[in-house]
Amino acid sequence: MAFRWSRWSPQLALVPAVAVTAVAFVGAIIWTVYLSLTRSRRLPEYEIDWSQWTRQYERLFKDDSWTLSLQNLIVLGLGSALAIVFGFILAAMIDREKRGESLFRTVFLYPLAVSLIVTGTAWRWLFNPQYGVEHALHSIGLTWVNASWLATPETAMYGVIMASVWQSSGFYMALMLAGLKSINSEIWSAARLDGVSLWRLYTEIIIPMMKFTFVTCAILLSLGVIKAYDVIVAMTNGGPGQSTYVPAYFTIQALSGKGNLGYASAAAVMMLVITAVIFLPLVLVTAWQQNRSARTAT
Amino acid sequence: MSDLTIAQRILGAEVAVQSAPYFPRKKKAITGRSIAIIVFLSICALFFCIPLYVVVVTSFKTMDQIREGAIFSFPTTWTLEAWDHAWNTACSGIKCNGLKVGFWNSVQILFPSLIVSIALSMITGYALALWNVRWAGAFLFILFICAFVPFQIIMFPLISMTATLKVYGSLWGVALIHAILAMPVLTLIFRNYYKDIPQEIMSAAIMDSGSFWKIFVEIILPMSGNILIVILILQITSIWNDYLIGVTFGGSGTQPMTVNLANLITISTGTTRYNDNMAAALQTAIPPLVIYFFVGKLFVQGITAGAIKG
Amino acid sequence: MPRVSFEHITKTYGQVQVLRDLNLAIDDGDFLVLLGPSGCGKTTLLNLLAGLLDVTDGRIMIGERDVTDVDPKDRGLAMVFQSYALYPTKTVYGNLKFGLSASKLPKDEIERRIAWAAKLLQIEPLLDRKPAHLSGGQRQRVAIGRALVKNVGVFLFDEPLSNLDAKLRTEMRLEIKKLHDSLKTTIVYVTHDQIEAMTMATKIAVMNAGVIQQFGTPDEIYEQPANLFVAGFIGSPAMNLRQARLSTANGKTEAVFASGTRFDLSDYAFAVPPTDGTGVIVGLRPEHFEVGAGTTADSAAIFDVPVQYAERTGPDASAYFVFENDLLALRVDPDIAAGLKPGQQVSVRYLRGKAHLFNAQTGQRM
Repeated sequence: MAFRWSRWSPQLALVPAVAVTAVAFVGAIIWTVYLSLTRSRRLPEYEIDWSQWTRQYERLFKDDSWTLSLQNLIVLGLGSALAIVFGFILAAMIDREKRGESLFRTVFLYPLAVSLIVTGTAWRWLFNPQYGVEHALHSIGLTWVNASWLATPETAMYGVIMASVWQSSGFYMALMLAGLKSINSEIWSAARLDGVSLWRLYTEIIIPMMKFTFVTCAILLSLGVIKAYDVIVAMTNGGPGQSTYVPAYFTIQALSGKGNLGYASAAAVMMLVITAVIFLPLVLVTAWQQNRSARTAT
Repeated sequence: MSDLTIAQRILGAEVAVQSAPYFPRKKKAITGRSIAIIVFLSICALFFCIPLYVVVVTSFKTMDQIREGAIFSFPTTWTLEAWDHAWNTACSGIKCNGLKVGFWNSVQILFPSLIVSIALSMITGYALALWNVRWAGAFLFILFICAFVPFQIIMFPLISMTATLKVYGSLWGVALIHAILAMPVLTLIFRNYYKDIPQEIMSAAIMDSGSFWKIFVEIILPMSGNILIVILILQITSIWNDYLIGVTFGGSGTQPMTVNLANLITISTGTTRYNDNMAAALQTAIPPLVIYFFVGKLFVQGITAGAIKG
Repeated sequence: MPRVSFEHITKTYGQVQVLRDLNLAIDDGDFLVLLGPSGCGKTTLLNLLAGLLDVTDGRIMIGERDVTDVDPKDRGLAMVFQSYALYPTKTVYGNLKFGLSASKLPKDEIERRIAWAAKLLQIEPLLDRKPAHLSGGQRQRVAIGRALVKNVGVFLFDEPLSNLDAKLRTEMRLEIKKLHDSLKTTIVYVTHDQIEAMTMATKIAVMNAGVIQQFGTPDEIYEQPANLFVAGFIGSPAMNLRQARLSTANGKTEAVFASGTRFDLSDYAFAVPPTDGTGVIVGLRPEHFEVGAGTTADSAAIFDVPVQYAERTGPDASAYFVFENDLLALRVDPDIAAGLKPGQQVSVRYLRGKAHLFNAQTGQRM
């Protein structure tokens, strides 16, 4: 047969995936970008008023709650970065002291198995002003403690950060552990012989060797923070007021709450831009690395 | 899409399959440092367990006891009242039929979602990894990018599409969306896994049979056990714990348990029954936790024993 | 009628041209060995024949069919891979059966063939085992069995013995040779091991850098290497290659080395009459030396050279002498080798009629 089936059957099998990618991803993104230039409200309108095509974006940049969302994004990011630090400390300790490793790992990782709604619910309860941790601490005499962080706009975000750190530290710990295990065991022996202090060992040798792991964790964290939605719903619903608004929440509110499709699309496009900014270095590095290995392989 | 971010899942699954051999543990003398470490870790473990403890304990209390305010205390009388309420009569929006509705919805969503998402990604990963497709590299790059695209930017078009296909609000609609959103990540995972299969086995299979499907069913699929287990665990957890897709694409009759739970705790009509809320949260969390405690060891062992692949 | 033929085969990978205008014809029933160092293109050529790679240009014929665009499974070939490539989740029986997937044979025919192959290769007791529970040699046999059940006319082997230990390798060499003798199929066999080539082949194609250096029987390749590459590649220890200049002074044709030693070429069969002063490379096989001065009647040249060292490998021994800043390798009797001391000045002579002469510029045989 001139028609080689072996050449065509894999391509045919790929049709569904290609279709999904083209339509549900590429096509959808283009559609949303287009809509962000329109004045669509509840239903899409397709005409663009070219004299004012940045209308939605201008509104967006003037919107206080959007600005607040962006601020909260950064706050959440920085706060959640504690999860990486915490994860590293846990991993370093578990790696040093092998006893109980299996047990500790199981305990630290179980939050990953649980929905963020559940996590949010649990922590919301803990932060309950009347019956939660604050009340319990007050009743044993620590009346100066403020543990109802979700009640005030200034501290609400910290409550969210706390829940988020609780949820994800285990994951970063697991990644760090894997990174630590990949370090040649002879390094530890050499350090002992050299009499290097523990602190210096970690800061000057181990952590630099795990640069890649840290970078990976940082990127994963950033992407997770951008996506943060479920936990906001469960804990604060954006409140008090709008103090725990994050871009993901803002966007969905603009769509379902305010019913403004064009506006929500603009916010979504901005989310994509933010993701791209974080994501671009990763892509470039991966592509560059692949290029390098491809060239050395031939 | 899911609470485990996509990239987390890529790494987790990749690493899960490479289990290194267990190094025999040397019995170390108990030094002061060891004790300090174990104490510290135990305190941290406590931090991780406290929320769970509080939720469990609260769910067995009566509202009267809760109003006394000692959140850490044991129930004076253990009662299943809250559990019963949560399961049978909790209100999710207008309807008050309890979380059991959401539970069964979640179960129903699970199977078609799993089948479609895994089947699609597996075949795609197989085709890209083991067959000579000229544009495979470019397509994989695009998939890689798609894996990081935030849901919000494709949300409305997807709503529109499912409405056009008349599956919006139905079980299959939700399953379809799960499959679509999971496809980039799962495909990459499968593709990387299949890339490790020695090229000569494919060459032999091409000379023996040459059929794309026959080779998949008889040779490749049986070799996929390892990765399938990991993917199944990941996907089940992800689909069960998902909120955003459920709330966006689920109609009134097909909302998953997480949506039920969220509605329960956010829409308060009258006094909030905290014990009901906690019981509801537990009920939602128990299925994936059970999986985690039984089979998650495999998954966890994989993550920690393997190396991180870029 | 050639059974398999390559016509003007070119294969390029991006910028790199691996094969250029290669032509080769294999007769029915031949055991052809593609011999050469790593990267010479022999495996590429085999994969082109199998259909696992596509030619950039050229034509491949099997029998009367042009198979250049035909799928591997339809070419009427069977292949045995270097790493055996057994399907890990299938039993030996399953592996053999899968080999017949492309052909739509009735069940009893499939059974019959599997039984026949299993018996021939003595793997009957292994039929229910999975590859993980087989030894290297057993896996080897199953891989061969998978090829046998196809009952085709052409078998391809891709360095099948390189993963085996030395003893097993010798055994399997005999097995494969026996198979060839009894089945009389055409075999195309790729290897870098010259011993395998010399012992098993009916024809050898020596390849280097994508070009066939010489095509002929093992004897031809050994006795009459066509160029420097082939001369240096075949033979262990390798042929001694030394620069010299032709002299036709005094009506005698001789090669003169830089040190002045003269080498008598009066009985050499020149393809083209020799020209005085031509730069040449003289090829001297280690086994055609004799230790001891002897007479000029039976020697083409006598070398007075100091011993560098001698080594013994069981029944054989080699001795190395210093000549013109380089080592001359000789095959000697172990007893003689034992008597040689480093630094000792010895006379060695090269037998008449056994020299090889190559043009220093082109590398071709003269």
